[in-house]
Amino acid sequence: MRKVYEYPKSRAAFERACKVIPSGIYGHQGPAEGCYVPVEAFPLYSSRARGSYLWDLDGNRFIDYMCAYGPNVLGYNDPEVDEAAECQRRISDCTTLPNPVMIDFADLLVETVACADWAFFAKNGNDVTTCAVMTARAYTHRKKLVFFKGYYHGVSPWTQKIDYAGVLEEDVANNLYVTWNDFDELSEVFEQNRGEIAAIIAQPYMHGNFADNELPAEGFWQKVRKLCDDTGTVLIIDDVRAGFRLDLAGSDHYFGFKADLICFCKALANGYNVSALCGREFLKNSVSSLSFTGSYWMSAVPFAAGIACINKMKRLGCPQLLIDKGTKLKNGLVTTALKYGYDLHVSGVPSLFYLRIADDPTLMLHQEWIAECVKRGVFFTNHHNHFINASLTDEDIAETLEIADEAFAVVKDRHS
Amino acid sequence: MDEKTLAYINLFAVLGGLSKLCELDGDCHKLIEGRDVAIGITVKDGPEGTIHFHDGVCDVTPGVDKCDIKLPFSSCKKFNGLIDGTVTPIPSKGFTKIGFLLKQFTRLTDKLTAYLRPDPEALKDEEFFTVSTTIMFHLILDAVAQIGSVDKIGKASASYIVDGDVRVAIEGGPEGHIHARNHVLTAVHAPVEHPTSYMVFSSMRDARDLFDGKVNAVVCVGLGKVRIGGMISMVDNVNRILDRVSLYLA
Repeated sequence: MRKVYEYPKSRAAFERACKVIPSGIYGHQGPAEGCYVPVEAFPLYSSRARGSYLWDLDGNRFIDYMCAYGPNVLGYNDPEVDEAAECQRRISDCTTLPNPVMIDFADLLVETVACADWAFFAKNGNDVTTCAVMTARAYTHRKKLVFFKGYYHGVSPWTQKIDYAGVLEEDVANNLYVTWNDFDELSEVFEQNRGEIAAIIAQPYMHGNFADNELPAEGFWQKVRKLCDDTGTVLIIDDVRAGFRLDLAGSDHYFGFKADLICFCKALANGYNVSALCGREFLKNSVSSLSFTGSYWMSAVPFAAGIACINKMKRLGCPQLLIDKGTKLKNGLVTTALKYGYDLHVSGVPSLFYLRIADDPTLMLHQEWIAECVKRGVFFTNHHNHFINASLTDEDIAETLEIADEAFAVVKDRHS
Repeated sequence: MDEKTLAYINLFAVLGGLSKLCELDGDCHKLIEGRDVAIGITVKDGPEGTIHFHDGVCDVTPGVDKCDIKLPFSSCKKFNGLIDGTVTPIPSKGFTKIGFLLKQFTRLTDKLTAYLRPDPEALKDEEFFTVSTTIMFHLILDAVAQIGSVDKIGKASASYIVDGDVRVAIEGGPEGHIHARNHVLTAVHAPVEHPTSYMVFSSMRDARDLFDGKVNAVVCVGLGKVRIGGMISMVDNVNRILDRVSLYLA
C-alpha cells in the first residue's frame, strides 16, 4: 500500500492566503471552482515542478494530469523552451519598441496553422476570444453571437451568464444559445435572427463539465461552415484548450473544416504567457481597426518561448504522440476499473481525456475515487478534462495505473 | 429587485417562517394551542396563500380556498408594505375572527421579526441563537425555491439545474433539501435519503456567519466549513440563487 498524503503546509498557506487574497485561491485553480471533494484530499500549493511532476508544499510528488490546466504540453521546465526564453531575456523583453522576434513568431504561426494568414498576440485565452468577437462585430456590423450550451470562452462579461455575479443583463443580451451537435436548432436560430448574427464561437468539440465530452457529429462542422458562408457569419474556433493537442495546424484542420478566426493560448509556449488570435486575410483589416492592446502583449520572451515550443512540438510529432500516450492511459484506466466492476467512461480526444465513473449518476463515487488517486500521488480533478504532456513516460503511466488500482480497491472496499 | 418575487418570498418564505416559529418557540406554540384559524392572503398579480393555525401547528400552503380571514392586496408592492410595516391590511372576510389577527397573529409576527432581525445581544443566548438560525435556515430554503420560480435571473439559474435533490444541512442542526424537477424548484423541510448533491455547513456558527454575510461561501468551501459534493453543478446554481436571497432579504 502506498503512503497516503497529508497537506498541513498547504492548509496553513491557504489560511494565510484567505486573509489577504479574495477566496484564498480564486478561479479554477481554487478548491471550490476546482471541485476538490473532499477538500482535504487535495494539495493547494506547489513548491516546484519538472516534466510530468509537481511537488506540493509538503514535499508530496504528483504525476500531474492537469498540466497547469493545459500550458504544460512538453513537460514543466522544458530545457529547450527555457533556454530560448533565457536567451531572449538577456537581449530584451518588455520594451518601448517590440523586438522582431514577434514577427518570427507570427511567421511561424502562419506557416503552421492551416487557416492563419496573420497572427495577433495577447496574454490570455480570454484576450483573444474577446478580440475575436470584436473583430467579427467590426467586420459584420452585427451584434449577436451564437454559443453552444456548455461552452467556456473565458471570463469577460460577454462570456458569462446572466446570473453570474457582476454580470449585467445587457452584457449577455446579444448571446444566443444552441445545443451542441444540433444543426437543426442552429439553423432555426439563424432563421429567427436573420442578418443579425455576427459570429458563431465554439470549441472544436464539447468539453463541458459534469458530463462526458462530446465530439462533433459526422458532417456537423462542415454544415456549420456552409451556414456561416451562406449567411456572412464569422466562424470563430476557440482552440485555447485543445489547440496543438489535436493538430498543430489547428483543431479545425483536425475536424476537416476551416475557421475564419482561431484562438490559441495554453499549449502555445509551454507555460510562457502569450496567446494568439490567428485568422483569414479578409478579417485582417477589421482586427487592425480595433482599439485593443495591453502593457505586456508585445513582451519578447514569451515569443521566443513560443517559437521553441512549436518547433519542438513539430519535431516530436506532438499531437499524435500525446494522443498515443493518452490512449495507453485511457485503456489502462478502463481495464483497471473493470477489474473492480466499475464502468469508467473516458471521453474526448485522449490527449485531453475526461473521466467519469458512470455507475453513479450523482458522481459521488467518482469523487471518492479521484480523491483516493490524488492522496496517493496522481493529480486528477473531478469534473474537468485532463491534459497529456510530451514528457509523460510509460513508467509514469504504469505508476498511474498502479495508483488507480489501489484507489479503486479502497472505494470498492468502502462500499462492499 | 422585483416586487413580485419579493411578494412570493414574503408570503411563502418569511411568513412561511411562522411554521418553524410555532414549532421551536414554546411561547408561540402556546399562543396557537387549541386554535383553528386560517388566514388567506391574496395579492393581485402575485401570490395567494393560506396561513393555517391548527392545534398548535402552523403551515403555509398555496391558494385561499379554505380561509376564515381573507386579506386582499391590490398589488405586490402593497403586500410587501405589510411585511415592512408600512401598510395596514383590511380583511374582506372573517370579521368575527379579527381578534386573532390583531392579537395572536401580531404577536407571532413580532416574535418572528425578533428572530429574523435579531438584536446582537439576543444572539449571545445559545437557545435564542439556535432558534433564530434554524428559522433562518428554513426561510432561506423557501426563498431559494421562490426566487428560482419567479425571479427572472433566478429562473435562469434554475434552468441550468438538473433533476434531483440538493441536500442542504447544518451539522448538528436543521436539514432540508431543494427538489428540482424540470427546472422547477421546491423546498422540502425534511432529510432526503438519496441526494444528488449536497451542501453541508460544518456548524451552526459557520452557517450563521454565512447567512449574515460575514464570510464568503467560496472561502468556506476551501476551509472545509462548507462541504459540497455530488452533482456540483446543482450546488453551483443553487448558490447563485442564494446570492439573490441576500438581495431580497437585506
